[in-house]
Amino acid sequence: MKVIDAIDERIIDLSMNTKNKKETIKALADKLHDAGYINDVGAFIKDIYEREAQGITGIGNYIAIPHGKSDSVTQVGIAIGKLNDEIEWETLDGKGVKLVFLFAVSNDHEYAKNHMKLLAEIATKLGNDEAVEKLNKMQEVSELREIFTAV
Amino acid sequence: MKIVGIAACTSGIAHTYIAKEKLMRAAEALGHDVHVETQGTIGTEDELTKEDIEQADVVIIAADIKVGGKERFAGKKVVEVPTHIVIKSPKALLTKIQKELGL
Repeated sequence: MKVIDAIDERIIDLSMNTKNKKETIKALADKLHDAGYINDVGAFIKDIYEREAQGITGIGNYIAIPHGKSDSVTQVGIAIGKLNDEIEWETLDGKGVKLVFLFAVSNDHEYAKNHMKLLAEIATKLGNDEAVEKLNKMQEVSELREIFTAV
Repeated sequence: MKIVGIAACTSGIAHTYIAKEKLMRAAEALGHDVHVETQGTIGTEDELTKEDIEQADVVIIAADIKVGGKERFAGKKVVEVPTHIVIKSPKALLTKIQKELGL
């Protein structure tokens, strides 16, 4: 499995009109549900907020990485949302958020180890300022794929 | 300087790997040698070797949880910070450490 396989168009929305964190997480969770990654939107969101309570997930440069382990996750994956308008979020640099990477991770991670490695690779990319700059400019899923598959 | 480090976060999914990348890139940009081990959900990766540790001027532990294997660093200068320090301003942290060590 490669990172490109983790980039699933069904759980990506690069033109979101949600107005706040709550709406955005809900909309992305709905996508995960519709695509069969999670079986319970409410339980998933609850687990995401449990992790939110433990520390800031806005890593700066307009990017947020809400995540959490949840029994509602049946397939490990990452929903990606780009906001048309910046939304408020708790962030390390005090700016808002325009790009959300919502990680869906199961509690039983042994079976999903390969997928977990892909998520780690995606997270690694988010530690790369040049990649982040490109992510903030991209408009299309094809660009997103390019950024994440570039060495 | 020669740096070894560990990155680890609460759920071991995302911050760990972002912190590692930030630390590596900042260290390389500033001309340091760097090796960072991650302790995440998928286990320990890029484990530090005895040699890495022996040669290191400083050990940077960027973690929000207790990390494993700290006894490996006995007698070493160890700097412990939460992951968000490394994610937010890795270069500032490295510059400060370097100044403190006089290297």
